[in-house]
Amino acid sequence: MNSEIRLSCHDVERYLGEEESRVHALRGVSLQLDPGSVHAVVGPSGCGKSTLLYILGLLDSPDKGSVAIESQLMSNLSDDELARRRNELIGFIFQFHFLMEDFSAQENVMIPMRRLGRLSEEEMLERAGGLLEAVGLGDKRRRPSRHLSGGEQQRVAIARSLANDPKVILADEPTGNLDTANSERAFDLLKNLVHQGEKALLLVTHNPAIAEACDWIHEMKDGRIIASHPRSSRS
Amino acid sequence: MTPPLYIALRFLVHRKRALLLSLAGVVFGVAIFIGTQAQTEGFAQYFIDSTLGSNGALIVRSRFRPQSTMLIPPKNSKTQASHRSYFEGIDDASAIMRVSRQFSNVVSCSPVLRGTLSARAGFENATVDLYGIDPALHLQTTDLAHQIVNGSFDDFRNNPNSVIIGSRLADVLNVEPGDTVQLLPPGGEYRRLIVAAIARSGIGPIDATRVYSHARVAQTLLHKPYTASMIIYKLRDPHSAPALAQHFETLFQHETQSWQDREESTLQLFLTLRMSAAITVSLIILLAGFGIFNVLTMTVLSKVKEIAILRSMGYRRIDISAIFLWQGAMIAAAGSLIGCIFGALLTWGVSNIPIRIRGLLYTNHFLVVWDWRHYMWATLLAIVAVTIASYVPARRAAELPPVATLRGSSV
Repeated sequence: MNSEIRLSCHDVERYLGEEESRVHALRGVSLQLDPGSVHAVVGPSGCGKSTLLYILGLLDSPDKGSVAIESQLMSNLSDDELARRRNELIGFIFQFHFLMEDFSAQENVMIPMRRLGRLSEEEMLERAGGLLEAVGLGDKRRRPSRHLSGGEQQRVAIARSLANDPKVILADEPTGNLDTANSERAFDLLKNLVHQGEKALLLVTHNPAIAEACDWIHEMKDGRIIASHPRSSRS
Repeated sequence: MTPPLYIALRFLVHRKRALLLSLAGVVFGVAIFIGTQAQTEGFAQYFIDSTLGSNGALIVRSRFRPQSTMLIPPKNSKTQASHRSYFEGIDDASAIMRVSRQFSNVVSCSPVLRGTLSARAGFENATVDLYGIDPALHLQTTDLAHQIVNGSFDDFRNNPNSVIIGSRLADVLNVEPGDTVQLLPPGGEYRRLIVAAIARSGIGPIDATRVYSHARVAQTLLHKPYTASMIIYKLRDPHSAPALAQHFETLFQHETQSWQDREESTLQLFLTLRMSAAITVSLIILLAGFGIFNVLTMTVLSKVKEIAILRSMGYRRIDISAIFLWQGAMIAAAGSLIGCIFGALLTWGVSNIPIRIRGLLYTNHFLVVWDWRHYMWATLLAIVAVTIASYVPARRAAELPPVATLRGSSV
């Protein structure tokens, strides 16, 4: 495998549900994400986009096939090891922000850092402050997250996904709950951070404008990637 | 501070009502446990102290000789005892006392000549239990000097024709220090003695019957050829009295009885009361545990989203269970601490409740014991109950699949 590849999966199959309600959610999906690249996964609801995202994010295991982060296979790792890799290497952004409501903005950003345990309390505060500054929320760092607007909450979620300086960012409809202006702002922010930090971003989106702005668009249907379009082929 | 502890603290603080409910259960259970144990043990301890102070920890009594009618000697000590011939009185009390003083557990010993006779004062009569004692030795061996509630022990010591009378007997005979009481042995003549002091041991049967006289007076009254019918012992460690009793019995060939054997039925009663109270209170703590189980289960259900978020950010299953176990631990720690304080206040409050008991024991208020072990056991019980109550929700939280929560309706 190429050592430059941040994240890849090969021939991933996944079944969901039991017996009669069993669904073949992913049917041999292969994908690779290079550093500094932004990938969009598009497709109708129920085509397997989120399932793919959770498998790539090590939250779910494939029934067949493999996932590798920075060329290292994740298949044989224990649950604790997978959690450690998630903490160190992956940043998640969800459609509904999924912030800890009782925590302030900066406390939310510090949650992954606490688990990593490499920084002191002061260093964590400083880094959280810097990340919130970068997403334009420097003045609201102490505000409880439930008192922030939807756009602000999503920006906190973006800052949190970057807390441990991950190699890969996975976003499940990160702008799905935002108005157009906030949606564009959040996406631009993410794109810049990915390009500057040589990270890889994979986002699931229904927004054609956002998909068009990505380096790659992967079309999914019935659990398969039916087409992948690089930016060059679209222009 | 570890990440699970930090998160547990935040979860707890933001669910104040649930926290207070759980805390209240533990505090209540711990406080009641301490209060009831202090009170039930208080009565038992008072009885033990009083009986040790009056009758000693060990009594050597009648001489015996094993009957050699059996070819094979029985192994059981009770069976052995039933095959003995007993002889009233102690053969050589001075020799037995001299030897027994060599034992490190023996603090002091005192010979007693005991017998039953009638007492009369004015128009009042009573049957009394006469203890003929050596005042100096008896003072070293018992708490008689501290039991004097009226009169003086010195007056008794200095006057061989004086007696010390139990407080309830003094009430029956209507006598006070300085009054005269007549003692009548069976088939003998009345002898007039002056009441030097009135003693209250705190144990009803003793206070209602006991009269202390000088040994020589008792010997004359009871017409006994020997100077002692028993020797009572004060021990450094009264709890080891049964072992020493067995040893003395073999050594001196005299029937020997420990205070545990002597007061077995009363001690059993106190133990039953304590056990009953402990079981009742343990059930209260168990109920508090159920309360905490419910509260933590509800917390897990309400934090499903947060658990999924934490898992997505790299928190391990063990971290998730630790969050809920920490919550339980904090409730147990805070609840036990506050419970111990309330328990101490409850014990103090109970000890001030006036109660007039004039039966087996003599007391004007509830008797309590201040024992650190009650606090330790209450805390231990609370910790065990809360740990069990927290374990299931914690395990459940750790097993929650994060994807199911994060997925929502999309596939």
